[in-house]
Amino acid sequence: MNQRTVVSKIPTRQQILRSLALILVPATMLCAAGEGRLEKTLDTTREPRISLTNLKGVVLVRGWDKAQVHVVWTVASPRVEVDAEFLPDTGPAEKVHFTTHVLDPLANANDQVADYTLDVPAGSSLEIRNPQGKIRVQGMQAEADIQSVGGDIVVSDFSGHLSVRSVGGNIEILRPSGHVEAYSITGNLHFVSPTTTKLRGSTTSGHILFEGDFMERGDYILSAYSGDLDIVCPPSASFELNEKTVRGKVINTLPIKRRRESASPLASSNSLLGTHNTGKATLELTSFSGTIRIRPQE
Amino acid sequence: MKEGREETGGACLRFDHELESYLEGESRLFVTAHAQDCPFCHALLSDLELIRLAAREMPREEPSPVVWANVRARLEAEGAFRPQGSGWRKLLTWWAIPHPVPVAALAGLVILGSLLSLPPRSAQRWDAPEAAPTSPAMLTTSATPASEDSAVARLVQELESNYRANEASLAPDLKATYNKSLVSLNDSIRECLDSLQHEPRNTLAHDYLLTAYTRKAEILSSALEFEGR
Repeated sequence: MNQRTVVSKIPTRQQILRSLALILVPATMLCAAGEGRLEKTLDTTREPRISLTNLKGVVLVRGWDKAQVHVVWTVASPRVEVDAEFLPDTGPAEKVHFTTHVLDPLANANDQVADYTLDVPAGSSLEIRNPQGKIRVQGMQAEADIQSVGGDIVVSDFSGHLSVRSVGGNIEILRPSGHVEAYSITGNLHFVSPTTTKLRGSTTSGHILFEGDFMERGDYILSAYSGDLDIVCPPSASFELNEKTVRGKVINTLPIKRRRESASPLASSNSLLGTHNTGKATLELTSFSGTIRIRPQE
Repeated sequence: MKEGREETGGACLRFDHELESYLEGESRLFVTAHAQDCPFCHALLSDLELIRLAAREMPREEPSPVVWANVRARLEAEGAFRPQGSGWRKLLTWWAIPHPVPVAALAGLVILGSLLSLPPRSAQRWDAPEAAPTSPAMLTTSATPASEDSAVARLVQELESNYRANEASLAPDLKATYNKSLVSLNDSIRECLDSLQHEPRNTLAHDYLLTAYTRKAEILSSALEFEGR
């Protein structure tokens, strides 16, 4: 009996193989699932130049106070690869380039997805191209050129020179300071609590919403074509206003003191030149056929 | 395109060799004959002819340094600068560029940038003191559609033809986004032209028209970069 028991406890060759299969198959599957993910950390200068060219997917870039780049990327399929280049070859990198390549021309749209998360020195210069995906940038302090075709772009807490373009995506810029330029054709623009002294925003058929105050000696130019343009600012906001529309409407619920009426070259346009409070900032708003509204924050 | 050019290498090399002289006004029948047989050389010759034509119509104004800086930066990024040749030979180094159509589009943008950086004769901002017309002649030019408008329109049309010829190679999502934006810009161009027909002195409508053309050229140029990838 004892012997039989002992014998029964010794696994047969078939049992061993079965057990191995049970362990190895899921392990192999896990490895396969993880083979498109890569994580790297490298030393850089405090102000490296970082470029990222992607095709599709989500790109997240966060500024931090280390002189290092930490990147995690995940590709959706082996038909896509990421090239990472760090220059110079030795010492802290001054330039860092990430580029997503399609290896197989038969790769379908879903295969082309690559998601990136980067933590970079806050003083880095950024150049990001992600034609078919979202881009999110947080806490950077130098300059950035960010472009998409169809993806939305969100930038928050950026100080420095920021240039953002998306052909069809929406652009949202939260708490920027420095110099901001944002352009879209069919996307909306949303500016929240800017402390910028120079801001340019333009969209053709999208809507523009500016929520916040204007800085002393700040210069703000916003232009929509057929979309509406809304300015929501505190009653204490102080600005000189130059407001023009060809076929649209102008609706102001702030007490703006008119300086002069529209002049002849813009005969049929609605326009207003005026001052609110002491006119410390300059605000130029134009629209072709949309409505321009200025109202106080509640 | 590159493959087509390699297949007919000998003829294309001769085309390269004779193109400079042809563009400088010499009679080179081989250049035109070969351009009819070879789509690649035909595209190049058409682009160069277009640039030459547009350049001839341009006043002798130096574009803003920003235009050149941007163009140079872009060409540099594309690896277009090679340490050889001069004059038209520099243009021929475009062969080495992996995406010649976008570069041709970029050349269109150079011209567009030049046109748009001209003194704003017809786009005077009526409310800007520094831009106020200083002579009766300037006032009269602002009353009629400017000739640069039609030059810009022609350039944008060329870019659009290139785009339409190649749009099938774009990813469906990208194509949909580009086409939607082009519809939007075309609507705005049409409305601005309509507005200017009724009020030729409406400088705001004119500003919007030029902005729409510029945006359209940028969009088409951007789309051409993605075509064939």
